[in-house]
Amino acid sequence: MLEVKGLAKRYGEVLALSDLTVDVDERSCLVLLGRNGAGKTTALRCMAGVLAPTHGTVRVDGIDAAIEPAAVRARVGLMPELPGLYERMSARAYLDYFGAIYDMEPGARKRRIDELLELFELTDAGDRWLGTFSKGMRQKVALIRATLHRPRLVLADEPTSALDPDSARRAWAYLKDLQAGGCALVICTHNMDEAEHLGASADGDGAIGIMSSGRALAIGDISELRRRSGLQVRKEVRELPTLQDVYLAIVGNHHHELAEPRSA
Amino acid sequence: MSSLSLDRHSISKARLVAARDLRDAVSELRLILAMVALTLAIPIGSAAGIRALAVFGGGTAVVNRLSLVGAFFVVFIPASFSLVLALESFVGERERTTLEVLVSTPLKEAEIYAGKVAAVLAISLTLCYGGLAVYCLVVFPGLGYFPLDVLVALALSTICQVAAMVAGAVIISLNARTMRAANVMASFIILPMSVALQVEAALILLGRSEFLWGFAGLMLVLAAILLRMGLNGFSREALLARDSGLRKPMQRAANAIRASFQHRPGFLRLLWLRRGALVISSLGLPAGAVAGFVAGTTGAIPASVVKPVLSTLVASAGDGTPFDEAVAIVSHNLLAILLVAPLALITAGLSGFLLTFMPGFLVGFAAAHSSWATALTGIVPNGIVEIPVAIIAGGLAIHIGAAAIHMEASGGWTARVLAAGADYLRALRWLVPALILAGVLEVRFG
Repeated sequence: MLEVKGLAKRYGEVLALSDLTVDVDERSCLVLLGRNGAGKTTALRCMAGVLAPTHGTVRVDGIDAAIEPAAVRARVGLMPELPGLYERMSARAYLDYFGAIYDMEPGARKRRIDELLELFELTDAGDRWLGTFSKGMRQKVALIRATLHRPRLVLADEPTSALDPDSARRAWAYLKDLQAGGCALVICTHNMDEAEHLGASADGDGAIGIMSSGRALAIGDISELRRRSGLQVRKEVRELPTLQDVYLAIVGNHHHELAEPRSA
Repeated sequence: MSSLSLDRHSISKARLVAARDLRDAVSELRLILAMVALTLAIPIGSAAGIRALAVFGGGTAVVNRLSLVGAFFVVFIPASFSLVLALESFVGERERTTLEVLVSTPLKEAEIYAGKVAAVLAISLTLCYGGLAVYCLVVFPGLGYFPLDVLVALALSTICQVAAMVAGAVIISLNARTMRAANVMASFIILPMSVALQVEAALILLGRSEFLWGFAGLMLVLAAILLRMGLNGFSREALLARDSGLRKPMQRAANAIRASFQHRPGFLRLLWLRRGALVISSLGLPAGAVAGFVAGTTGAIPASVVKPVLSTLVASAGDGTPFDEAVAIVSHNLLAILLVAPLALITAGLSGFLLTFMPGFLVGFAAAHSSWATALTGIVPNGIVEIPVAIIAGGLAIHIGAAAIHMEASGGWTARVLAAGADYLRALRWLVPALILAGVLEVRFG
């Protein structure tokens, strides 16, 4: 579904992303973890066909994002970190506008909007201006907008950062449903619960990528990352290291390497 | 680079964007009130004032002229409002991150650009023409005077002014991330536009519709250039990618200036590379001569207008020692070629063309009032050196102007303009000694 090879992106003098290679199949989810400025958002924008790569290729459904970016964008649902909603539009009108942009038929569009507003408990607020919405409600609308047109690939940047735990679980369940329906997911997050829930599922359809300074330090399933981190089973409590432990171990090792480069 | 060749599907998408922006603009109560006030209150107030002047014996000529100035005033206020709307539509959306969402959809840049520009134009022109219609309905029926040609020229130039301001706002949006920064940068549009409007007001007072048509034509060219620049520069990369890499601005500026002088071609190679601009510049001389001759023979421009210019030029040569004369001539010419480069930035290179056109015009005008032999005698032998210098300086200035109005989605505008400016400065190493030689020749043999 998503094939990324040697992806690099440079903004002027800043190399935001370097040599990222990753494949995400249908019904799979890749979770990207990393500090602020690690290159996650840039990676999402390149995968969405919004930014052109400086080097490397991005293919969605076999379509090269550098050659047919509009076709890629039509197959992708991008949810940026900030919802970016029009304050003086109702939720329904807003979603209808984006449905029209994605060439959805008016009838199908209305049904889909009603269905998703109900799923996210926004039916009653559907005719209110978005400017009156709470932060969490805005994030729900942004998630609905990104997935309204049933994209083949959903790219979401911190999709539940403003949601309460209950709403967050509902959003995860929704994303899992999309995944089960054949969609591929790429999720950037700082929330380890979210990363474990979406990227480390037992059925092996998830992967986690850990990024730092524009590079992917490690990509794999949770057991592979545990192995890479060098952490062992915690003897005192007899439990596996959490993803948080794994993340800190890998990022910590990387920064240690950067600070004290090995001598030849 | 974006292209504005929109097919049917693209037009429907642009209409979708335009419709949303229009709905957004009219959903603001304060904005609606401002629109009503601009469209009704100001025109009615202005028209009532002029009607009152007519009733209380203001004199037909004065009232007729004032009625035209009133029309200009009524159109000017809502036209200036277009800049605010355009900045809000582009920079405001960028600041609120709604533009990021829009550019992540399958919409093409040209569809977003066309939709947004159309929405702002629709609002601004509705206000302008609504106000003008109300004004005309109130003021002219009682006057027995209806200058249709002037009003149509005014209406046309208004479209172009609004389009120019909208396009300027788009260019600002590519360089400003916040409304505060955009408002500061808007001065670069407001100041030249206010000069243009003063010229228009003066032309209206003159009451010559042909001048107004000429002005409208110039505004049309300006609007086309700016709209094209906006379209070429409006890209996802420009809107999203330039958020990074902006650290240490002073050091970056110094590096950019330093880099613009590095790896540049030598003088002769530069002349070859800029041959197109040099040809345009060299055509200015005969074109000016023909225009001047025609103007002189037909009396289109009275001799009383041009003769003081010629007298000033002659007087500027000075009447002191030969050294003083040479210094005066060189200083005069040097000032001209030093001014022409910065002026090229804001005149799209027109100043470079005028550097050869204007001397040609004066020679042609002088020929019309004497003979070609007499007129040409005045520019030899110094002209043998001065004319090539003017052609080279003019051509390089035209290139600066061309760089200034050329935008690409991938950016690099500053680097291109700086490189063109650096080429000009480096060429002065050859042009200034040539001007000194020309000054000496003029004093010694002229």
